[in-house]
Amino acid sequence: MEPLLQIQDLEITFGRGAQAARTASGVSFSVYPGEILCVVGESGSGKSITALSILGLLSRQGRVTGGHIYWQGRDLLTLPQKRLDQLRGTEISMIFQDIMYSLNPVLTIGLQMTEGMRRHLKMSAGDARRRAIELLTHTGIRDADQVMKKYPHMLSGGMRQRVMIAMALACRPKLLIADEPTTALDVTIQLQIMQLLRQLRDETGMAVLLITHDLGVAAEMADRGVVMYAGQCVEEAPIHDLLFHPAHAYTQALLQAVPGLHDSRDKRLYSIPGHVPEVYGDLTGCRYAARCPRGAECPHRMQDQMREVAPGHLSRCMNEGGMADA
Amino acid sequence: MPDNIVLETRNISKSYRISGENSLFAKTFQAVSDVSVAVRQGETFGIVGESGCGKSTMARLMMCLEKPDAGEIYLQGQRIDNLSETQRRRLRPRFQMVFQDSGSSLNPRKRVQDILREPMLYHRIGDQKQVDSRVEELLDMVGLPVAMKRRYPHEFSGGQRQRVCIARALSLNPDVIVLDEPVSALDVSVQAQILNLLRDLQQNLHLTYVFIGHGLGAVHYISHQIAVMYMGRVVEMGPSDTLFDHPAHPYTKALLDAAPVADDTLRGRERTVMAEEIGDQPSDSGCPLLPRCPYAQEGCRSRGLALFETQGRLTACDRMLEG
Repeated sequence: MEPLLQIQDLEITFGRGAQAARTASGVSFSVYPGEILCVVGESGSGKSITALSILGLLSRQGRVTGGHIYWQGRDLLTLPQKRLDQLRGTEISMIFQDIMYSLNPVLTIGLQMTEGMRRHLKMSAGDARRRAIELLTHTGIRDADQVMKKYPHMLSGGMRQRVMIAMALACRPKLLIADEPTTALDVTIQLQIMQLLRQLRDETGMAVLLITHDLGVAAEMADRGVVMYAGQCVEEAPIHDLLFHPAHAYTQALLQAVPGLHDSRDKRLYSIPGHVPEVYGDLTGCRYAARCPRGAECPHRMQDQMREVAPGHLSRCMNEGGMADA
Repeated sequence: MPDNIVLETRNISKSYRISGENSLFAKTFQAVSDVSVAVRQGETFGIVGESGCGKSTMARLMMCLEKPDAGEIYLQGQRIDNLSETQRRRLRPRFQMVFQDSGSSLNPRKRVQDILREPMLYHRIGDQKQVDSRVEELLDMVGLPVAMKRRYPHEFSGGQRQRVCIARALSLNPDVIVLDEPVSALDVSVQAQILNLLRDLQQNLHLTYVFIGHGLGAVHYISHQIAVMYMGRVVEMGPSDTLFDHPAHPYTKALLDAAPVADDTLRGRERTVMAEEIGDQPSDSGCPLLPRCPYAQEGCRSRGLALFETQGRLTACDRMLEG
């Protein structure tokens, strides 16, 4: 199957001259039609800027300095601004973590819902309104026609995220990019939004690129997962393999650093020493080496290529022994 | 009162006025209602709940940063909620706090050594030399190199700053430390470091913690006793393992079921799901979860809110323990 979206060796640089920092480099992954791909990483891993760069939404300081982003075979990075505009919201939609700032506080939900449809699909006001109510109802909002008259501050966080999702779906996109869509929500609401996104994927067949810091969210949602660390993709695998047969020492450590709900409390939590390196533009070799329990003894520390561990399972590290020796 | 109880609240309530101070339309928001908890010496008392459940208000009340509208708070048998400013200041070394946002709780214009010295100088503990050696001891205790003492807060990472906050809270040898979401803003890998540090310190120094959080795994890992709060009330309270392995209250069960688990094979598991919040506060009578609870029945409307004891914990509802 041809991928919908294919990112190849993406490199993103912030700042210029001596202050230039390569915040992402060597980022490659593909999203196939109808799949949910989760990109997991801690803050500073480069996961959000990668997502933003797809739709050309990087802030002025950041720019793509290498690589390609292919959308159904066309390179988005060389696409004229006007074509990109047509793509945004119609073929690729995006929702964000910050639900409060993603909606205009002085316009009603109805106006914001119909805006995109009228512009992209050239719908009449009445048709757009009917479709908006249909979409809101579909995302689980009761009294959708009442909600249309409300302003964002009158809605709870979960409702706002539902409105954002309804808006993103308005033009039947082939890909939904969701950047930490549930991070600002309470767990009980998070579960509902996760279930909603999966249900919508099943019904519409759209693909979802989900950005998250939480391996638990990835486990609940994803078909495949990509782990990012210090600006790189370090491991990519079907979600079950990633969770149960991780090859990269960092993925293994992340899985053990999260306290489980029913774990014995006498067990000491595995903690990764140190913190994510802040400047990593010119690092060579394994970027995790400084925090890895194998560290300097690792025979592969100077290797920095994604290699195939198993079919569909790529990793920069082959920590076969697992964490037993850590 | 058993003498191993360090901090206790008895039926405390706190409400805030919202929308207009003196207007006719002023509404009140009941942040905490009728909460009684007891924190035992050398243990961690965890408080979990979703946003707006009153857990942070509980922290502020326990620290005497707010006065309760009703009820009493005791620190080692001494009532502390009705103290004067001066009396409270004198007691302050005995109960200290760590906040979620380490960035805004450290003075950006002071070096770490001055931040750590300040509480000791203010409370006139020790001479200059003793204070200086105590600063080094504190940094060592929280796992920061002593050489970092001349640095400013912005030169530290988030996890390191949280270590400084913990060192400052420890500086006066408090009886209780209230930790309000101390790891929520940190990355997973750093979260584990701080949780381990807190546990080590507790074991070595026999500290007592009140740990407020919304991350269920973290709260379970660190706490001996846990209280689950919803809309200002404790709905279930008891030993951590009892609560997490066999919750009695549907809300506790729903919280546990909603927490994402890093196991894709559990995706389809049966869960207790709470309906989305309606937003309005329910009336005083009946269970506050009534509009959201999948097990709601007619009888719930007239049901009391009082906690009762069953199978080793206190709960307002034992629906999940029935057949």
